[in-house]
Amino acid sequence: MFSPMEWCLMAAATMAILMVGSLHVRVNLLCYSILTLLIAAGTACSAMASNEPHLFLLAAAIAVFKAILITVFLFLIIDKLDLSSDNGASISAPLAMHCNIGLTACSYFLVNDLPAPAGEVHAWVGSMAGLSMVMTGVVLMLIRKLAISQIIGFLILENGIYTFALTQTRGMPLIIEMGVVLDLLVGVMVSGLLMFKIQSSFEHIDISKLTDLRD
Amino acid sequence: MDTLTLLLISPVLSILAVILIRDKALVRLLIPILFWTNIALSLLALMPVLGNNGESLVINRDLSIEFLNGAFILLTAFVSACALTQTPLFFKVEEANSLSPYRFGEERLYYACAALFHISMTFVFLSDNLGFLWISIEATTLTSATLIYFVRTKHALEATWKYLIVCSVGIAFALLGSILIFASSQHGAVEGGSLTISELIAHADALDARLLRLGFICCLVGYGTKAGLFPLHNWLPDAHSEAPAPASAMLSGALLNCALFAIWRVSQIASASQSGPSSQFLLLTVGTITAVAASFFLVHQHGLKRMWAYSSIENSGIILIAIGLGSGPLFLLHAINHSLAKVALFLVSGNIIQLTGTKKLSEIRGLLSTSPSWAVLLSAAALAVTGSPPFGSFVSELLIIMRAIEMKQFLVAATLIVAITLAFIAVGMQLFRILFGTGKTVAPTTRSSGMDLVPKLLVALSLICGFTSLPNYLLETKNTPTAHNELNAPKDCSVSLSL
Repeated sequence: MFSPMEWCLMAAATMAILMVGSLHVRVNLLCYSILTLLIAAGTACSAMASNEPHLFLLAAAIAVFKAILITVFLFLIIDKLDLSSDNGASISAPLAMHCNIGLTACSYFLVNDLPAPAGEVHAWVGSMAGLSMVMTGVVLMLIRKLAISQIIGFLILENGIYTFALTQTRGMPLIIEMGVVLDLLVGVMVSGLLMFKIQSSFEHIDISKLTDLRD
Repeated sequence: MDTLTLLLISPVLSILAVILIRDKALVRLLIPILFWTNIALSLLALMPVLGNNGESLVINRDLSIEFLNGAFILLTAFVSACALTQTPLFFKVEEANSLSPYRFGEERLYYACAALFHISMTFVFLSDNLGFLWISIEATTLTSATLIYFVRTKHALEATWKYLIVCSVGIAFALLGSILIFASSQHGAVEGGSLTISELIAHADALDARLLRLGFICCLVGYGTKAGLFPLHNWLPDAHSEAPAPASAMLSGALLNCALFAIWRVSQIASASQSGPSSQFLLLTVGTITAVAASFFLVHQHGLKRMWAYSSIENSGIILIAIGLGSGPLFLLHAINHSLAKVALFLVSGNIIQLTGTKKLSEIRGLLSTSPSWAVLLSAAALAVTGSPPFGSFVSELLIIMRAIEMKQFLVAATLIVAITLAFIAVGMQLFRILFGTGKTVAPTTRSSGMDLVPKLLVALSLICGFTSLPNYLLETKNTPTAHNELNAPKDCSVSLSL
């Protein structure tokens, strides 16, 4: 049967798929926050199961920085820019969501082909959730047109990669993970500020309309 | 002082100087001084590894310097110093030309970010750990985004956003690749797995082949995005053409080397393992396609700096071929030659754009009659970049082609010759129009004296690289046979060239 960690990670992947189904920016952001908290919970479960205390620290860092700090920052931006929904999706939300379910099935087959991590019977559940989130992130970035949706897509992609690392390798060294979280935090801050500039220069944040620089 | 302090003290001091000093003239004077001091200090720190005895400096478990790393650190320091010497002069002209009140705060932010950018690039070459390598490369993206956005126009904003998003997503795949390589080491190669590159190379035979292959591909896609490899190059022409000229010089002359160096590190692991031949094939294919595609793009260009950006993509492809051929010295040699010439070219182009007030190739005409000295400098730098004799790039491109033939990669060699020739013709035709063409010319505006000093130095150095025995020195003394060379190269690795 599945372990608590696997339940958490599967729930996170499901949450990501649900996000593709909603065009509402606030709902998306809230879902992102819950998804990240679920991943933090998964990390904590993994820490308890494997008795590796450094993973608790990592779980706390993910909850504080990725789930709370980044979400609050992005909520502030949404308020300032007065955004409600991303109406510019290039394919309809329900269709995208169903495609994503198909992609999750693909990630199951991909993961099944990888060798199981050393010392474990199977890790396909968590790794599948991770790859599924990577794909969801890419899909979100491709089909959505608002800059904020692209940032959310990128965050999910990164969460997917983290989940994959957690299950496929039993976690990267703590210092590396912390470095990644720091880079992500700075990246979100920089792109958040750029979004303000885009709003004030172009009076919208629709990335698909930024097409002046072409060959 | 220890190595790390020597390498980082000047950039850190320049950040402090920018924060604490508010006097415009003093800041503009201090920044170049600090960055030239940085070269001297770096040379002092790297003396043991750059000498003939092939020592390596181990700072700690995750940071170490060998000859190739040391040479690249020095090259990056040199490129940063040249670009940041030109920057204050460039900004002086911008200030004189600008209609709105000049904001010195933005210029200070530029210097601070340039110094941070330099530090993160230095860490790329210091890292002996896949995780730190990834963090440093991502840090270069974040710090250089501010440089691209310096002019605060709509186009600059669009280019910066594209750069930030495309490179971040690309590099995210490199993180996935690093994780897969880490996972591949957990199947009996190293107890608990390892991210240390030298350790992974040493145990390459025991790595899980499937995971390693997948990891290598992800890393190539990820770092390849940053290196501007076709078809992931979209961000590069925009970023290089919209950034201020000294920033473009840093992006092209130093940042591309960082991304290619990351690919080199990962390819060292792959080459040492059983998947060596397949990774070599992949690198050669991607490199050749990139060089050819960029040459075709060069034919139809409308912007001066955009043209040089495509030339950078072409050179990325050529360098990737050198990496695919498994030759560290050739990789370094062409990177040095390309960086010297390309930095000169971007700096000269920046001045010409300031002189004529336009970036459009169709509007820059008859430069030889309006400002002959700039015209001569531009042609010399352009010839150096396209690999014409007697400049250094000619030697390195020739050596790469000879090496490919020696390793029986005839198709790669033939395609590379076509690509280089096409690029030469495309750039030559545009250059001819710029120098001799008649039509709409824009009257020259104010210029700051001494702006041609750094480009002249760079072109002279590029000439020196072509005439001296630097290639022989690198190839004969520094071709330490790695596992890769032993696997793929013929017995006599050195391709000597009698000049």
